[in-house]
Amino acid sequence: MNLAQIFTDLVFFSFAAILVGSALMTIISRNPVRSALFLVLAFFAATGLWILLEVEFLGLILILVYVGAVMTLFLFVVMTLNIDVEEQRSSFVRYLPFAIVIVAMLVILMVYVISPGHLNPSELTTTGGQPVNYSNTTELGMVLYTDYAYPFELAGILLLVAIIAAISLTFHGKGNNKTQNPDQQILIRREDRIRMVKMQGDKK
Amino acid sequence: MLENYLPILIFIGIGLVIGMAALIIGALIGPHKPDAEKNSPYECGFPAFEDTRLPFDVRYYLVAILFIIFDLETAFLFPWAVVLHKIGLYGFLAMMVFLGLLTIGFIYEWKKGALEWQ
Repeated sequence: MNLAQIFTDLVFFSFAAILVGSALMTIISRNPVRSALFLVLAFFAATGLWILLEVEFLGLILILVYVGAVMTLFLFVVMTLNIDVEEQRSSFVRYLPFAIVIVAMLVILMVYVISPGHLNPSELTTTGGQPVNYSNTTELGMVLYTDYAYPFELAGILLLVAIIAAISLTFHGKGNNKTQNPDQQILIRREDRIRMVKMQGDKK
Repeated sequence: MLENYLPILIFIGIGLVIGMAALIIGALIGPHKPDAEKNSPYECGFPAFEDTRLPFDVRYYLVAILFIIFDLETAFLFPWAVVLHKIGLYGFLAMMVFLGLLTIGFIYEWKKGALEWQ
């Protein structure tokens, strides 16, 4: 094991520690905004791990899409819901059975996937094997738009469905639109607004 | 390939050190004498009317989700642009169909008036 390998391992373990720590803080933090920000840190650490696995495009997309956009959405949702911290504390016991069921299902899935015969860790490709000019983006692009064109178009349809669903769920029409209409504003004439009234002046 | 990312790792390290050093030095050296008056919320001399954390309107959510969808679209455009000269007409047409689908969605939201701020 040479020095570069030791350094890579060191970087891997520090990113992994940050990932686990911030994921833990995400679920135990009382303040929902704070847990959302810890989730951002978890995404950053996951990006570091993915780049160590030499899938740079996915790592950068994780920052661009998840940190840049999905977390913005999460924060919007937190702000929209107006979550009360005290109320959250009292309902902890009430939601505990559901939490246990979900965690048990996740653990069973993980054990099933990692168990021998499904995903053997020794068969996975090791890191650090690619040459300097290797570009994960190029490799991905070569297959995504040719071999996987059909799933790619399906992704496009999913995005289209998401647009229509978001609009039909949250948009309630142009009802009380209070914006000004510049066309009508500049076309207004003096005669439309002012009416001159001849009045008999007071006699002295 | 990983050696290309070493400068970025160093940048992350320097950024962490500078960012945290300012906070830690400030917390260690700065005077820290809180009292009840200092910790109370100040709103121009009268007691605060309501909580600072007002719920947002759900319309922000619509803007955010439409932003995410077109953000994902650009994520798909990037590797396509990198390999455009290698994947030929088929890859080009695949992206045109994808963009066509999203243009339908764009026309829909434009005509529906979802992009207009009320």
